[in-house]
Amino acid sequence: MGEGSSKGKAARVRRSTLAAVAAMAFVAGCATRDTGSAEVWDPLEVPNRFIFSINQAVDTIAIRPVAVLYRDWMPKPAQRGVHHMVENLGEPVTAINDAVQGNAHQAATSMARFLVNSTLGVAGLFDVATSFGLKKSDNDAGQTIGYYAGVEPENGGFYLVLPLIGPSNARDAVGLVADAAIDPFGLAIYNLGSSTAYWIYAGTRYSVTVLDTRVRTMTALDDLQRNSLDYYAALRSAYTQRRAEQIRQKKEKTDTRAELERRDNLALVR
Amino acid sequence: MPLVVHRRIMLRLAAGAAVMPLIGSGLAVGPAAADQDPAAQLIQQTAARVIELIKTKTGEAREAGIKQVLESDFDLDYMGRSALGVHWNQATPQQRERFLKAAASAEAHAYAERFGRYGGQTLTVGRVTKRANGISIVDSKLNQSDGEPISIQWEVRNAGQGPRIVDVKIEGVSMVMTRRSDFNSYIQNHGGKVEALIDELEARAKR
Repeated sequence: MGEGSSKGKAARVRRSTLAAVAAMAFVAGCATRDTGSAEVWDPLEVPNRFIFSINQAVDTIAIRPVAVLYRDWMPKPAQRGVHHMVENLGEPVTAINDAVQGNAHQAATSMARFLVNSTLGVAGLFDVATSFGLKKSDNDAGQTIGYYAGVEPENGGFYLVLPLIGPSNARDAVGLVADAAIDPFGLAIYNLGSSTAYWIYAGTRYSVTVLDTRVRTMTALDDLQRNSLDYYAALRSAYTQRRAEQIRQKKEKTDTRAELERRDNLALVR
Repeated sequence: MPLVVHRRIMLRLAAGAAVMPLIGSGLAVGPAAADQDPAAQLIQQTAARVIELIKTKTGEAREAGIKQVLESDFDLDYMGRSALGVHWNQATPQQRERFLKAAASAEAHAYAERFGRYGGQTLTVGRVTKRANGISIVDSKLNQSDGEPISIQWEVRNAGQGPRIVDVKIEGVSMVMTRRSDFNSYIQNHGGKVEALIDELEARAKR
């Protein structure tokens, strides 16, 4: 009985998410304001700055100090293991996004990475797949929407600062929800276990990801904060450029010639 | 028909890629095509100078040395001008001069800090792309001891006094573009006046 209702709920969640994705992709695609490489479109700047300041406060008193402790006291191999595990859990969603973007080869590679690292790599602790020549791809639904939206990838709709997550925009926020909705582990736990189990899983995974990401972005963010007059604006610009670059790389990948030129370029590098 | 052409290009590229390592190992010195380009040479020379500085000097001597590298290898005036964007036209000549001086000092400080974090990574310079606007883009990879290499693109412009760096893009994030957003937002939040930005930059330079 309980199982049936939870399945119905999950289906409903999935359906409404799909509708939201479609709607947002449409909105992003239609946005007449093509920000290009100029200023980022930020109509919600006042509430965004408010959430940004709260995020900053939480980061200063809680997240950053913990990240510093973790970085300095946790043995490096353990940190690497945690990083690989987090990445490995994301591999199926990456594969789905690779596939939706029409990159069957990379989708298969991501899936193979997941299978190899989950088994030989001891539940993802070691990245054995890379040494097998299976290259990691970073992909998510935000990039998929950007891939199909017929606008410059700098245009991700309006800029958003999400509580506890940080810089985002309409495109990437929808992407986050979509990725969570198609996450096979989340779906399995939700359907086989209970919603409590799901929230424990989601919470743990989110916390570990935040810690790992915070350590990895520390140098860059510290640099940006110290060397900017308006950190909010500098981060908004840097985030938008970074995401645009990721999407641009995906778009270029479909162009065989660009891909070959890249390989040619790699061959030139000694 | 286009398919055939495509395949031919692919084959040629594949053949080229296969031959490259042979040439490299055969010549032993291995001068990649990139070496002959003045823009690529500039990047290699700048990287070598910075690494040398970091190995031999510390503290103020290092920062002064890095400032020298910046002044000779970077086009700081051009960078400052692009960073100010539309506000450049509104600024008076005196304001422009003050701004460029303060921005150069901020830039020197930022790069001294960035370069100071150097920990033995190597920089491999790759392809050079010439753009229609006269700017050459030099691709490079900063190889780290652990983790993926970081992609760094250098934009090099020659305005008559030899090639100079005008922008650095790290993983797709342009330093000049980020600064422009930063400055622009600061000006907008201070009554739209360039003066406020210059005052702040000058105050920071003194600190």
